Amino acid sequence: MERYELIVVGAGPAGLSAAIEAAKAGMKTVVFDENAKPGGQLFKQIHKFFGSKEHKAKIRGYNIGETLLREAETCGVEVVLNATVAGVYEGRELTVMQGDSIKHFKGDSIVVATGASENMVTFPGWTLPGVIGAGAAQTMMNLHGIKPGSRVLMLGTGNVGLVVSYQLLQAGCEVVALVDASKKIGGYGVHAAKVARTGVPFYLSHTIVAVHGEDCVKGVTIGEVDAAWQVIPGSEKTFDVDTVCLAVGLSPMAQLVKSAGCEMNGIVPAVDAYGATSVPGIYAAGDVSGIEEASSAMIEGRIAGAAAAYQAGYLEKSDFESIVTAHEASLGSLREGMFGPKQRGRVQTVTEEGIVLSQSLLTKGYLDESDLAHFPSIQHGKTGVYPVIECTQNIPCNPCQDACVKGCILIGNDITSLPVINAEATCTGCGMCVASCSGQAIFLVEEKPLESTAYVSFPYEFLPLPEKGDRGIALDRSGAPICDAEITAVRTGKAMDQTHVVTMKVPLDYASTARFFRRR
Amino acid sequence: MNGRIDRSIDLGPYVAAPDDGMIICRCEEVTKGEIRRAVHDGMFTITEIRRYLRTGMGLCQGQTCARLVKQIVAKELDVSPDVLEDAVARAPFRPVPMRVLANEAEGRTR
Amino acid sequence: MRIKEHPILGATEKGATVTFEFDGKPIQGFEGEPIAVALRAAGVMVHRHTMKEDRPRGIFCAIGRCTDCVMIVDGKPNIRTCVTPLKAGMKVETQYGVTAKKEA
Repeated sequence: MERYELIVVGAGPAGLSAAIEAAKAGMKTVVFDENAKPGGQLFKQIHKFFGSKEHKAKIRGYNIGETLLREAETCGVEVVLNATVAGVYEGRELTVMQGDSIKHFKGDSIVVATGASENMVTFPGWTLPGVIGAGAAQTMMNLHGIKPGSRVLMLGTGNVGLVVSYQLLQAGCEVVALVDASKKIGGYGVHAAKVARTGVPFYLSHTIVAVHGEDCVKGVTIGEVDAAWQVIPGSEKTFDVDTVCLAVGLSPMAQLVKSAGCEMNGIVPAVDAYGATSVPGIYAAGDVSGIEEASSAMIEGRIAGAAAAYQAGYLEKSDFESIVTAHEASLGSLREGMFGPKQRGRVQTVTEEGIVLSQSLLTKGYLDESDLAHFPSIQHGKTGVYPVIECTQNIPCNPCQDACVKGCILIGNDITSLPVINAEATCTGCGMCVASCSGQAIFLVEEKPLESTAYVSFPYEFLPLPEKGDRGIALDRSGAPICDAEITAVRTGKAMDQTHVVTMKVPLDYASTARFFRRR
Repeated sequence: MNGRIDRSIDLGPYVAAPDDGMIICRCEEVTKGEIRRAVHDGMFTITEIRRYLRTGMGLCQGQTCARLVKQIVAKELDVSPDVLEDAVARAPFRPVPMRVLANEAEGRTR
Repeated sequence: MRIKEHPILGATEKGATVTFEFDGKPIQGFEGEPIAVALRAAGVMVHRHTMKEDRPRGIFCAIGRCTDCVMIVDGKPNIRTCVTPLKAGMKVETQYGVTAKKEA
């Protein structure tokens, strides 16, 4: 049996963060992960994260993963892959399957960071090849470079369903529809809007009636559900697809903590502010202790790692306290806002600022024209180039504020506040706010009444990239074609990190509606 | 938590439902109808269902169906799924070949 | 089905092209990628047929959890093809129940 001062189970964002913090304090730390590659789900996250600078906002998940791995290496964390923790026994003993044998380890402390597994739903045909989890789609596209299918229907409009739908589009798949039995889109409105503007329809209050096919998926029928979740006869629609993707939530993977005898609070282990479970020396961090985002998991990991180090005498009380205080403040700010854990299950109708929320965004995935006037950051009819910020929900994110060197965009200390345009400052049209918005919700508009034209700049993350002089059709927020458009500029830069800022010329009347471009 | 389920409750007769044929446990190919019937046969806990039908005892060890089985049993008993305790989590958490399980390494591991 | 160039990730880095056998037919894939990925690229959707009901199954979770994608690899049944790296000359067979032979 081999002994470590700290054994971390799971090399995802929480586990690696815990290991780093403990190893930095001097603990002999090992991380076991059953996968062939470390990083958990971070390397499948190719979108820019929300948050503020300290949360690594506007950095893509896989880049955060690379940084985390480098940090782990620098701190001397030992990461053992293809190592499946098969059992946990009294005295913090673990059995680990490595290759063809089972090995025993003992940890003075253990951090369980086993993450979550995907929930599934059943419908006729759900076992057919071609029905896959959203995580499977992400794994295939973003790790292995293969499309899961050609034509995909996504079930679930939480952030996973929305983000993976967008990734499917980026991979070159066609997404025929986003379907959710709920009446409202579960994820961030900005994630929905960037999918909707490409023309993908949302079917809320709909469910899958059946998937068709003999040997694999050939089609899918959806139907509208009534208040009792029953399909309304006659509401059925059938799509010709080869893939049905399920994104219906995650559940903590808690077998290990349960088996260790940790007191449970429903489906999650009961933990204190430092992630300590009821079993001395065993901590839990990340999704296993409650489903949140990777950004929160990393902070929970840091706190648990520091707590283990303090417990083992590797940190002075004052050092431990200052580490925890900083991380708790950072975690607190992430948990604020209308999508924070405190708000779960509550029906919200207005923003923190008292602005009526867009129902269109919640049900169709895009802002309706009647919503626009309510939000002061959605400007129109100004002289010169100006930003239009279609960020209408309180989400913890503020990179736009830092992106503008002219100080045009103000969020303030509370990172969930809606952005406000600073009337004193002048926009130079640099486009950095457009590229830095993780929600792809910022546009630049320049109206030229004398020419009867308008220039609309928007974020673009697809291939092929439009080129100056390309002619095509401008799409509105719903993805409907509205007018002719000509590409007048395409801006790309290292600081923009693959979010290209494309400018198109449209007739003046479409300045506040044209939001995307399609080649003819 | 299982103590809260009244063993003497009358579930009424088993009534076949149109989706009884739906596979719930993908590995052991156990259907929704079989699970519902098992509840009527007196299997009121997830552990009992598991031993009776082998749900969650196949290759994947209940990774996919655990939550689904719970929902079906809870609905049949007319209780909240939270009342039902999960099946006992015990080692090995993942499928381990017997040959490997029997091959316990000694001493240093690398 | 392979993504030649990705707008964020660029070109996918792959190992050497290798030949393996699927139900007796030669197929090409990239060394080190999961067997399931090479099969998907070759258009193979059905990995196995179930024991009781003889129903087709394929990739479901793609991370080694659900065990739906298991096949017979080099004679060994129940191999999770989504997490097993491809090697040149591997013999991959559709699994029927737990064997390579479809029972009459």
